[in-house]
Amino acid sequence: MPAPLALSVTGASFAYAQTPALTGIDFDLVAGEAIALIGPNGSGKSTLLKGILGLIHRTAGTVRVLGHDTAPAGSVGYVPQTDELDPEFPVSLEQVVMMGRYRQLGWLRLPGAKDRRAVAAALDTVGLAHRAKTRFGELSGGQQQRGLLARAVAAGPRLLLLDEPFNGLDQSNREALVGTVERLKADGVAVLVSTHDLELARAVCESVLLLNGHQVAFGPRDEVLTLENVQRTFHEVGVELDQHTLVVPGHEGH
Amino acid sequence: MTDLLGPLFTAFTLPFMARALLVLLALSLVAGVVGVLVNLRSLEFISDGLTHSVFPGIAIGFVWGGREGLFVGAMVAALLAAVVLTVITRRAVSGDAAIAIVFTAMFSVGILVVSRQSNYAGQLEQLLFGRLLTVTATEVVQTLVICAIALLLVGVTLKQQVYRAFDRTAVAAAGYRPLLLDLVLNIAIALVVVAASSAVGNLLVLAVLIVPGAVARLITVRLWLLFPLAAGFAALCAWLGLALGFEASVRAGIDLPSGATVVLVLVAGYLLVLLVRVLVDRMRRRPPAAPAAEPQPTAVTA
Repeated sequence: MPAPLALSVTGASFAYAQTPALTGIDFDLVAGEAIALIGPNGSGKSTLLKGILGLIHRTAGTVRVLGHDTAPAGSVGYVPQTDELDPEFPVSLEQVVMMGRYRQLGWLRLPGAKDRRAVAAALDTVGLAHRAKTRFGELSGGQQQRGLLARAVAAGPRLLLLDEPFNGLDQSNREALVGTVERLKADGVAVLVSTHDLELARAVCESVLLLNGHQVAFGPRDEVLTLENVQRTFHEVGVELDQHTLVVPGHEGH
Repeated sequence: MTDLLGPLFTAFTLPFMARALLVLLALSLVAGVVGVLVNLRSLEFISDGLTHSVFPGIAIGFVWGGREGLFVGAMVAALLAAVVLTVITRRAVSGDAAIAIVFTAMFSVGILVVSRQSNYAGQLEQLLFGRLLTVTATEVVQTLVICAIALLLVGVTLKQQVYRAFDRTAVAAAGYRPLLLDLVLNIAIALVVVAASSAVGNLLVLAVLIVPGAVARLITVRLWLLFPLAAGFAALCAWLGLALGFEASVRAGIDLPSGATVVLVLVAGYLLVLLVRVLVDRMRRRPPAAPAAEPQPTAVTA
């Protein structure tokens, strides 16, 4: 039996106010698989993730999340870029991960033993159980990223959206993050991840979607990640493609 | 010792002082909790906008129904201002400019309304600087009810408000409506403004909303400790400020406006905590003293 469809985007375009940001997006994502969104800075990767969440105005096409027109509450996990968060915010890692349980808790109920167990398990999954009581802002960038992933895991999502989770991570944090994403996929979670990192795309993603204000290409990873497609995406004839990274002259964060 | 502490208690055996203390303690509790959220969300400017926007409601209420009309006018203006400010901060290209335009316009409307009255100056002073020591039993009840509603609104949504303050996008991804959470918080802020306006006055409300939360942030980085600390600090300052104003009046013949005295005690408390925090941070940053050189063993010959 084929895996159920987690996300279906058909002819979708998104805009900020009246300014078009992304056009002509068409792809499907099934449970237990991952798609890498690859494109230069400002190409619309974050826009697409926020558009799927319904946070950005869709001007054309359809987006169906887990069979619904709007993302069902609590079933979609979102991991933002850590630089969007206030590093001085007075909250511990454990409390950040507990935020992932709020949907299950409802408005009035306080966290109970079951929620604390779920938080501990999520922290274990990302290898940060020993930092549970540490203030979130005191963690390294990679640990913060893993902490946010743990928050999404604690919510028990069926679709996970990751926004540049590998930016600036050292090798151990990358491996921990890849391991966690692999485990989530094995549990049937569908993953959509924006990245500049081909190692991640090759390690955990079955498909690749190349973006640059519009959809340049979409399909199985090895068919889409060709030098020609990547050059079209980045508008750079000098782009190089090796096993791990996109090398774009003068382009940050490859 | 009893002589020193006596004034802190004896003043409140007088009914008007007890009423003032009760109003301020209720305000402290709710302003402490709401104020922490204002601090976490950096909503100081929108709070300022709300205090100014409530003023025309207070003025119209006063002109329309005297002291009894104050609360009604303030409530209507507060709820209207909360909705308008919530919407424009979401929709406007420059939220701060929009807030500034709305609140200065609203405040001017209030001044125009009050200026039509014959004893304009005296009434304006009461509205701007409060009349804490003349609050009636009815006004005490009104204040307690408004504080309870504000506390209920924030209490029910507290987890989600903190989540919203930490990560706006993720809270929306989790299925919450940020607009609804913003509206609830802004209404709670507006209710605190209404409750505090008759006590400390429209101009000084902001201090009650902002100082306790700022002090709590200086004292701790533990999230759930912020709320009782802010409320406790506000209550302590309210008590000390009222007692100080009373003693200055009775013993030294200095007539201090009670609302302003309370606010000054709040600010003094903030400065004291800030000083302690700076000193503690400096001591923590100071490198440990170099260990004393190990004494060289002395050769001992038999």
